Amino acid sequence: MRKILITAAALLLAAPALAQTAKDALTVDLPGDAATLDPHIQWDTDSYTVYRNIFDNLVTRDPAGKIVPQVATAWRYADDLTVVFDLRTDIIFQDGTKLSAEDVAFSVNRIIDPGFRSPQLSQFDQITRAEVTGPAQVTLHTRTPYPALLAQLVKLSIVPKAVVERVGNAAFNQQPVGSGPYRLRAWQRGVQTVLEANDAYWRGKPPFQTVTFRAVPDLSTRVADLRTGRADIVRGLTPDEAEALKPERSLQVLSGLTERIGYLFVNALAGPTRDVRVRQAIAMAIDRDTIVAALYANYAKPASIVLTPANFGYTPDVTGWPYDPARARALIKEAGAEGAALTFTTSPAYDRRLTEAIQQMLQDVGLRVQIVEVDQPTFLRRRQGNPEEAGSLSQGRWSCACQDADGVIFPLFRSGGMWSKYANPEYDAEVDAARTVLDEGKRLAHYRRAFEILRQDVPGVGLYQDAAIYGARRELRWKPTPNEAFFIMDMAWQP
Amino acid sequence: MIARIPPGMRLVLLLLAGFALAALAASWLSPHDPMRQSLLLRLRPPGTVAPAGSFLLGTDDLGRDLLSRTLYGARASLAVAMLSVAVSLLLGTALGLVAGWFRGWTAVLVMRLVDTMLSIPAILLAVLTVAVLGPGFLNLVIVLGLTRWPRYTRVAYAATLQVASLPYIRAAEMAGAGAARILLRHVLPNIAGPLMVVATSEFGLMILFEAGLSFLGLGIQPPQPSWGSIMSAGRQHVARAWWLTVFPGACLFVLVLCVNLFGDWLRDRVDPRSRGR
Amino acid sequence: MQAAVSTLGVLTLVFFIMRLSGDPTLLLVPEGASAEQIAQLRHALGFDRPLLVQYGAYLADLARGDLGESLVQRAPVSTILASRIPYTLALATGAMLVALGIGIPAGIAMAVWRGRTIERVLAALVLAGQSLPTFWSGILLVLLFGVVLQWLPTSGADGPASLIMPSVALGALTMSTFARMTRIAVLDELSRDYVVAARARGLSLRAAVTRHVLRNAAIPVVTVAALEIGNLLAGAIIVETVFAWPGIGQLAIQAISSRDFLVVQAVVLFVSVAYVAMNLLADLAYAAIDPRIRISA
Repeated sequence: MRKILITAAALLLAAPALAQTAKDALTVDLPGDAATLDPHIQWDTDSYTVYRNIFDNLVTRDPAGKIVPQVATAWRYADDLTVVFDLRTDIIFQDGTKLSAEDVAFSVNRIIDPGFRSPQLSQFDQITRAEVTGPAQVTLHTRTPYPALLAQLVKLSIVPKAVVERVGNAAFNQQPVGSGPYRLRAWQRGVQTVLEANDAYWRGKPPFQTVTFRAVPDLSTRVADLRTGRADIVRGLTPDEAEALKPERSLQVLSGLTERIGYLFVNALAGPTRDVRVRQAIAMAIDRDTIVAALYANYAKPASIVLTPANFGYTPDVTGWPYDPARARALIKEAGAEGAALTFTTSPAYDRRLTEAIQQMLQDVGLRVQIVEVDQPTFLRRRQGNPEEAGSLSQGRWSCACQDADGVIFPLFRSGGMWSKYANPEYDAEVDAARTVLDEGKRLAHYRRAFEILRQDVPGVGLYQDAAIYGARRELRWKPTPNEAFFIMDMAWQP
Repeated sequence: MIARIPPGMRLVLLLLAGFALAALAASWLSPHDPMRQSLLLRLRPPGTVAPAGSFLLGTDDLGRDLLSRTLYGARASLAVAMLSVAVSLLLGTALGLVAGWFRGWTAVLVMRLVDTMLSIPAILLAVLTVAVLGPGFLNLVIVLGLTRWPRYTRVAYAATLQVASLPYIRAAEMAGAGAARILLRHVLPNIAGPLMVVATSEFGLMILFEAGLSFLGLGIQPPQPSWGSIMSAGRQHVARAWWLTVFPGACLFVLVLCVNLFGDWLRDRVDPRSRGR
Repeated sequence: MQAAVSTLGVLTLVFFIMRLSGDPTLLLVPEGASAEQIAQLRHALGFDRPLLVQYGAYLADLARGDLGESLVQRAPVSTILASRIPYTLALATGAMLVALGIGIPAGIAMAVWRGRTIERVLAALVLAGQSLPTFWSGILLVLLFGVVLQWLPTSGADGPASLIMPSVALGALTMSTFARMTRIAVLDELSRDYVVAARARGLSLRAAVTRHVLRNAAIPVVTVAALEIGNLLAGAIIVETVFAWPGIGQLAIQAISSRDFLVVQAVVLFVSVAYVAMNLLADLAYAAIDPRIRISA
């Protein structure tokens, strides 16, 4: 009897919700507003989240992470340096003009033009030029054989040549026109961006008529917005916040493992960590399982190498050092490094708790760790400067948004790179070879060797595969993807 | 002497002494090492008893004892406030004395600088300078000291102008006493009252400033606790772990209140205008 | 003239502090850019020129009324600033209303009932507003009035309702300054001969306060109000962050952390000019309050 009453009550309560089958307006709380809406300028997560819904890209990734057609229908290598793309002919820009091969070539040439000063240039500068080679065909030329090309092109949005040339770069940034599922309705800089559905979109009708992205910098306030229904989905939840939201019946936590790797940088060129035994000891002193369970409530996943399984080049059988504090202590004693002073450079952009937890774990095996917190620009200047200034340790949360080892361990550890505080010619040879050979089997073999060398030399310690955590209304259907994309087209509302 | 202090003020002074004592004796009073983490005991409520010991005020998000951290935090917060007040008081008073005594272009220069500093909001200036110098205890003191001095200069300048025209000061000058001697011996004691009043209200503000900078990630270096850093870390857990913000928050509140009440009382005593009808 | 000098001083100070803190190129390039690419972008942005040349170029642009372009947003700084100023003015006005609306009556009451329990209670209450860190009291306000009671919107800037909580949080910080200022000014006036004489003739305390005291006590209060405006404008950094209020405080902190130099300079310029303007207004207000005061040229 009681059960029936409860069911009846539940039905009564649910009735108004059932009546409302479609939802017109979706509200998204982000930590900040888009910095630019021109997709060829900024690519911080907030900007990206907004403008990627206004544009189509040459290629994209399916939910499984496979590179699939979007504007391009097919592609083939004419030779090792030349890739030919066939394009769709039925895509219409939001101003009514057709998307043509000229627009695609223009978009590529625009972002690789040094005069345009795109912050994204270094992701595309292996491309020397793009040319129109047919009515629906574009050919890209690269400097060297470049296996990560397609992975980079996932991030290339196609802009209409005619509009950009007519209105100029500044006006285009203010009033962008794309071919994507949403068009810009209003942009109050720093406050919010409102998009409205492009009903003529070639992949179908977008799920919401309008989408509002609001800038709410404080996480606690974003959560309050979600609780009161002011926002339908909020980005950047911490695991603790996510756990606290779970009991709320009208809300849900949407999370997914990403290609972002949390790692500990260990300076192999300066300070006490120049001794490889000290570096190995550090790798053994960190109890990443406990860290992930306690601080990340198991949203993230422990990772012992500096790459996630979501990236190409990951080989599951090559691992890092297991947690072994006794051996770590012995190694440090052997190296005569007991009480050696390490500096742990950090900035407010990194998780303070993780820094402090690692500090204690290293102190427990006999090292002395001092945390030096500076602001982000200063942190970058030191971390990227010469080895003597970089400090012994720092955290990193690295994503190349290309899901390829080339975008991770090449910049991080290849000698001569500004992030790298490590030099091993053997390692350099492997990662150099892997970036200029197109055959996937050969590339994997190179990366396997590279990770075996990294295991011995420990210029960095894998900590965790990061998770993207969102809080959302219960009715929203969506699954976050490893590349941290935020496509409204992939969402649905199911009361 | 003590008999002339009203009973309410006696309570305030008692509380202030209590805070000072807690800060000084933090290492004896703390039941735990304030840095010692145990990740398996995070966010435990007040009164938790575990094999590792009992946590009277609960634990923070790394499983550290909140009572010990609050005691050590008192040390950091009080030290930052006291030292930065001292720096700005010294600097501001010196400039104010000099400007008020020499007048002329010296005064114009100093008071222009004062106007310049006052027209930049202090927190903006502090954020900027911390961004350049990097956070940390010493830098925090320097930054707060260097941004807050103009308030003292204004007071010292006005008071010096007033005092300097008094006949006995002129007499001392005529008698051949040096400027430094006159300023320190005769002028300074006369203007100490109003300066102390400014200092007390600044003291409370400095504690809050440190807390605000901690919130912006520019405060005391981790893992050292200050009330501000404990609260800004605990703020994320307001709904689940209220103790993280309530205990240091209550301490901060009571301390700032006491300092301000003390300042008001002091003002009423030194400022003849408000001494009453 | 003097105001212009101190504004220039402010700009110079901030210019050099910002430049000392390193250039923003590193924040603009993607992770993994090479040293040459960074040097190239740095050159394109002009950050490899000598500091004094950069300073001269900045002043020359400023003299032409050109605030430059934001490095991060690639939009004119004037546009960005203009879009934030209305919010800032709204918040500053709201906060000022709260601070004056509560602070002045409280100050009068504290003066009139001097030495009684009510004075102590009021003193503690107005001080309470100033003794709590905003980042904490702010979120408590959001949880109470936004989430639990659902009376007020939890964030953002749509409509007057969303202005209430940020105004209270910001106003509370200056409220006690006004209360104490008013208290002292009123006490001061009450002890003057003309008031004492009027009271001796049988004028009630209430009449004395409303007829004579308030007018004269207003002058120091106006002075403080003008001085506080700078703090209300950009000192609102924390309040704006907590309540997602899109004013220039939030803009300033974002610009500082991304080393968006020209935006920081513009914010500082605006605050400095506003401060000077408010002090001029205060001078005018003195004359309005007390016709005996003449504005000196």
